[in-house]
Amino acid sequence: MKLSCLQENLDRGLSVVGRAVAVRTTLPITNNVLLATDQSRLKLAATNLEMAVSCWIGAKVEEEGAITVPARLLSEFIGSLPAEKVDISLSPQTKTVGLKCARFEARISGVDAKDFPPIPKVEGGVTTKVEVEALRQGIARVVFAAATEESRPVLTGVDAVFEGDLLTLAAADGFRLAVYKLPLAKAVSKKTEVIIPARALGELNRLIAEQEEAVEIMVNPDKGQALFSLKNVELVSQLIQGTFPNYSQLIPKSSTTKAVISVGDFLRATKTASIFARDGSGIVRLVVTPGGEMTPGKVVVSARSEEVGDDVGEIDAMVEGEEAKIAFNGKYLTDVLSVLGEAQVSLETTNPSSPGVLKPVGVDNYLHVVMPMFVQW
Amino acid sequence: MPIKALDPKVVARIAAGEVVERPASVVKELVENALDAGSSQISVEVRGGGVSLIKVADNGSGIASAEVELAFDRYATSKLENLDDLESIQSLGFRGEALPSITAVAQVDMVTCAAGERAGTYLALKDGAIASRSSQGRPQGTTVTVANLFRKIPARLKFLKSVATENAHIANVVSQYALAFPEVRFSLSIDGRAALRTSGSGRLIDSIVEVYGAEVADSMIELKGEAAMPQVTGRIGSPKVNRSGRGYLSFFVNRRWVNSRLLARAVEEAYHGLLMVGRHPITVINISLPLNEVDVNIHPTKSEVKFANERAIFSAVQRAVRQALTEQIAVPRVEAAVTRPVFPSAVRETATIPYSGVAPGPAFPPPTPSMALPVLRVLGQLDNSYIIAEGPDGLYLIDQHAAHERILFERISQQRLRREVEVQGMLEPMTLEVSPRQEAVLRSRYQDLNEFGFAIEPFGDKTFLVRAVPALLHKEDWAGMLRELLDSLSEGDKGDWAEEVTISMACHSAVRAGQSLSDAEMQELVRQLEQSDTPHTCPHGRPTMIHLSSEQLKKQFGRT
Repeated sequence: MKLSCLQENLDRGLSVVGRAVAVRTTLPITNNVLLATDQSRLKLAATNLEMAVSCWIGAKVEEEGAITVPARLLSEFIGSLPAEKVDISLSPQTKTVGLKCARFEARISGVDAKDFPPIPKVEGGVTTKVEVEALRQGIARVVFAAATEESRPVLTGVDAVFEGDLLTLAAADGFRLAVYKLPLAKAVSKKTEVIIPARALGELNRLIAEQEEAVEIMVNPDKGQALFSLKNVELVSQLIQGTFPNYSQLIPKSSTTKAVISVGDFLRATKTASIFARDGSGIVRLVVTPGGEMTPGKVVVSARSEEVGDDVGEIDAMVEGEEAKIAFNGKYLTDVLSVLGEAQVSLETTNPSSPGVLKPVGVDNYLHVVMPMFVQW
Repeated sequence: MPIKALDPKVVARIAAGEVVERPASVVKELVENALDAGSSQISVEVRGGGVSLIKVADNGSGIASAEVELAFDRYATSKLENLDDLESIQSLGFRGEALPSITAVAQVDMVTCAAGERAGTYLALKDGAIASRSSQGRPQGTTVTVANLFRKIPARLKFLKSVATENAHIANVVSQYALAFPEVRFSLSIDGRAALRTSGSGRLIDSIVEVYGAEVADSMIELKGEAAMPQVTGRIGSPKVNRSGRGYLSFFVNRRWVNSRLLARAVEEAYHGLLMVGRHPITVINISLPLNEVDVNIHPTKSEVKFANERAIFSAVQRAVRQALTEQIAVPRVEAAVTRPVFPSAVRETATIPYSGVAPGPAFPPPTPSMALPVLRVLGQLDNSYIIAEGPDGLYLIDQHAAHERILFERISQQRLRREVEVQGMLEPMTLEVSPRQEAVLRSRYQDLNEFGFAIEPFGDKTFLVRAVPALLHKEDWAGMLRELLDSLSEGDKGDWAEEVTISMACHSAVRAGQSLSDAEMQELVRQLEQSDTPHTCPHGRPTMIHLSSEQLKKQFGRT
């Protein structure tokens, strides 16, 4: 293997695949990154067996070949080099990669590419395309609601339903539920439902942050894999096997109180209260009061801690229905309020022990259901 | 068989059986007599486990020549005059049973000389009758020699344990009185070997040094008795010095050595959570209370007493012990041996700096600093498991899991007491499937779990519905925690049920060992630990921290 490429390209490529490098693993080779020539490009790939990321960068290939080298070592070394041309050569006998850039030279011992876990090829299944902005929004608004605790594996994933020209993403962790609908740029031939690990979607969102082209998605439920094709980058994820809970029945059909609040005000009041709620389990109490003839409605956001003290904040609101009291885990509120791009949000409640529903005002593609905390009032 | 009155000899022997159970009982009675006689020196000598010989000599008031024979009559005593006196017994003995009981089962000699008498009296008894009497010179005091104990009662003799065991019982009796009467000089010789010798200095700690050794004595915390009755005084061992049996709990009521389950329980409750399961503390506790509030006359050997107000005694003891513990227990220190510096011997020999690896330390190292946790500055994390912190007096290593467990344990307990448990509702009720054994426990307890924040209801066969969980656990594997808890509870009586649940919850929501913590998290953890009531141990009784004092560091580096 003999090739040369630009330091900036190699550096960026290594950081793209870097997040898929295994951290704690029993398979040491997954700590490595694969370098392989692919026609006139250099392919970089890393996998932690749950997810694999491949990235292609332009290169001048003189001799074909492939090798794996420790990912962290390589990317730290490349990152410290000047922005010039990097010459890469492999000595096949010793499996040593020689790197040369400006007046720096390094040799890194590698491991044969044949020992690297194969990056799954996803073929067959359902193919579609999503505008990148819509996908970004969708992932950001649901992924945080997935469970981090693994006793119910399906909840650590995001449920994705492709139907016609609509994609519905949903995540729940037993205490909250987020559902977002987005259009598909290319309709699917048949309805398909899969559960994608939330971690993989989080990484995907990081990868598409700077991209403008639409993302191609290919899911194959039978093989349990999904492929996301970006410009010069591919992310393959294993799917989570199992059945996602039927969440539509968890969404309250009606409410007795509805408050429309400014997202910014609500977020600030919740964050302030959370400072006081920090010592306990982060309980933030809301009291929603309808306005009178002359007075506007309001929501009082408060928190107290036995040792620390308490905090009360008041925000204006348009309130329909009766007065309501409800307490939430402050983090659940800030989680959802910080991803909303809209100016206003509506909060619908029924009683202190029934779920509250948050919906951005002006759009009807997102809803967030949060189960309250039971407290003494 | 017709009913008839028993022969006096039979009566005496039956009665003796109650008082004189084993050689140690003889020693106890004789030592008590010596103490009642106001002695300042008591020497005890035993041979052959007390069966061959028990000799107790004192320098007390002695018995007047004319009264010596009377002393051996049943129910003859100088310690009690009338019924009213029985209400307020100050002396250890009072029943007038000891000497006659002993003479009924052994051969007894007595030499005694009362104050003002010129010569002492010698009296020898055999089979309960006086065999000979004469005058004999002796300084003021009494010597009682008991020989051939139980020789006439083979049945009793047969039930005695080995010589070593009987010796141990005797040593224990003498030790207990040495602890109760630090102002009396005790000496005990077993088969010619000096087993115990106290100074009679009047300081309890000196007696403890003799009985339990300097190391234990060093860790004994003084109980500061309140002025009001019941007054609880004495010394208790710090939790790091513990034993596997309850034999090291010594209780005295108005300086009478007693066995009391009530008091033992009060002490154990005070130590609760500071000692590992199955370990017991060392304590020497005297309870002073008005004479009419305690009844000592419920058992011939007077080893049990009845309190007029048991609850008050219980809480006074528990409070005193707990208070002393929380105020004074020190963080376990790193043993010097563990961190001995590696010092090449050649260097040491040629080194000009005076360095001695085994500097002779003072017999009593300065008492451990007694205080709650000082303010600590976090330096870093070791092995993703321990927080390294600096205090005003050296280095602290804090076990992050144990420390967090302690903090959460207190928080959960407090929330529960205030009925303010933080509960997170479930969006969708979750089913919890349990094994038959777990089901049995859960069925009887699911409503009680409410106060901890679990909303659970039965849902058919071996299945329960969970509608809400404690907020503390909502991100954790609470189902696993519940199953583990139920398994542990199904294994039988676990003492305090609620505490079991609290410990389990604290354990499952605490940070694990191996979890890396940010500086802010470590600071927060240490800050909360500083505010904890008992920061030094986790609820299981393991230490939360180890202390390496600046003093020790200096010594280890040869800087002193």
